[in-house]
Amino acid sequence: MSTAVDSATGVATGGTAGGGPSRAANWARRAPLLPALLLVILVTQLPFVVTIVISFMNYNAYYPNETGFTGITNFKTVLSDPQARSAILVTILLTVAVVLISLVLGLLIALLLDRRFHGRGVVRTMMITPFLIVPVAAALLWKHALYNPEYGLLNGLLRMVFGPGAVQPDWIGQHPRWAVIFAIVWQWTPFMMLILLAGLQSRPMDIIEAARIDGANNWQIFRHMTLPHLRTYIELAALLGSIYVVQNFDHVFTITSGGLGTANLPYYIYQTFYTAHDYGLASAAGVIVVVGTIIISTAALRTVFSLFKEQSR
Amino acid sequence: MATRDDAKGTGVYSIIAIPIIIWTLIPLLWTLALSLKGKDALANADANILGNFWPKQVSWENYQLIFTGGASDLFLPALRNSVIVCLSATVISVVLATFCAYAIARLDFPGKRMILTTALGVSFFPVIAMVTPLFDVWRNIGLFDTIPGLIIPYLSLTLPLSIWILAAFFQQIPWEMEQAAQVDGATTWQAFRKVIVPLAAPGVFTTAIITFFTAWNDFVFAISLTADKARTVPAALAFFTGASQFEQPTGGIMAAAVVVTIPVVILVLLFQRRIVAGLTSGAVKG
Repeated sequence: MSTAVDSATGVATGGTAGGGPSRAANWARRAPLLPALLLVILVTQLPFVVTIVISFMNYNAYYPNETGFTGITNFKTVLSDPQARSAILVTILLTVAVVLISLVLGLLIALLLDRRFHGRGVVRTMMITPFLIVPVAAALLWKHALYNPEYGLLNGLLRMVFGPGAVQPDWIGQHPRWAVIFAIVWQWTPFMMLILLAGLQSRPMDIIEAARIDGANNWQIFRHMTLPHLRTYIELAALLGSIYVVQNFDHVFTITSGGLGTANLPYYIYQTFYTAHDYGLASAAGVIVVVGTIIISTAALRTVFSLFKEQSR
Repeated sequence: MATRDDAKGTGVYSIIAIPIIIWTLIPLLWTLALSLKGKDALANADANILGNFWPKQVSWENYQLIFTGGASDLFLPALRNSVIVCLSATVISVVLATFCAYAIARLDFPGKRMILTTALGVSFFPVIAMVTPLFDVWRNIGLFDTIPGLIIPYLSLTLPLSIWILAAFFQQIPWEMEQAAQVDGATTWQAFRKVIVPLAAPGVFTTAIITFFTAWNDFVFAISLTADKARTVPAALAFFTGASQFEQPTGGIMAAAVVVTIPVVILVLLFQRRIVAGLTSGAVKG
């Protein structure tokens, strides 16, 4: 198998003039890619194309006779509808808060796990578990096991520390957004930690050792050497985190069912197509999420490839 | 990395690590504790020890509820659906991605980087933007609330991810060894089977685990594209209700959460190193 492949490569590089055989060889080499690629494009891009088309249509299952193209009406509606506007604001708020908090926590934990101590392996294993737990189960866990005013862990701890007369807040009712934010932070901190830990461990230790011999203290090393080196990794973690947190639906659906001012754009979309059956409006909102994601992910891809260059240098 | 912070100070770090363990572990243990509490233990602090934490008498009534009792016709089919859908999506995408990643790692051809970029870009694609047309189309062609109707959209989650992770793994394989084996007299097939397969297997395996997690964790497709026949566990969890509308089904929900979490925890404990390698290679390494 490999020899055939190698000779094919030889033909291609030799016959740069681009005759018949090299083109055939080119196709032979691309053939194994095709099924997977076609499927990827089919299952992800086709629905999106349909989404774009529908987003310009008046398309509501309850009013089938009024179906037709309406131009940018749906987008105007989404951007002027107070509910959708608040959904956009909530999405931005959730994303920024979750990414910032989990980045700071993730950085602190990564700095700790970069050192050697007894039980480091155990701590690292514990740390990644929240990230891999079914998000709905994690959200239920926060809703019922931690936030519940009667038998939730948080109020139980308050009773334990301050006695029976302790304040017993209704966490979700009084602070719905923070309730959602902290549940998501719990799941995403490990992800941030993993990326930042990979960054920390790729530091050139000989240079840091040299700085230490030259008399730099820990804070100086962190401020002037570690942090600049980590910058790309922090950017990457923040961008990837944002891409996924913008789409968060599980926690919002489970913890508050989109109530109490926590409905974000994904929840708004779900409601619009699932209960209102307004496919046109839902698609327009979907396109807005995609545009937002594309802006973030272009930056993310650039960061990923700049990391590649750094490593291959 | 080895020379720094030798013995001194390691005890301090171990102590600093304790809050981290509490932060990650206590919610999980508390879930387990709640799932083992009967109705009285939930309501009455005296029936528990360790400051209301652990029940004095472990009760299996919540597990009975979801496996044999009133909630079993919701939970058991969901569990079966989840296993079928996620295994199928994993197998299909890992097989296809293996071919794809092999080609990317072994061959030099124009557009290679674009394929990787596409795979990565596609894996960023917001699921919620695909659901609206799928919901509409699936209902029209009869795929709504069926197993294949879930497997197909799950491939859109798992395929790009597996291509990306496998390509990263395959690029680190020393492919020259295959030729070295052939020089030593092995046939092409032998060289592939005895040299390349053992080197590639861990990567494929890791990819399969991460792919399976991705499918297993999905909620958006599960709740939008199913009604009750093909509902998977995450969607079923969201629809859990108690015996009556006014009874909080906390115990049952917690038991179900434990059941879907246990396989994850076991896999993480067993394959921790590989999963971390896979996650970070997907994100940072080339």
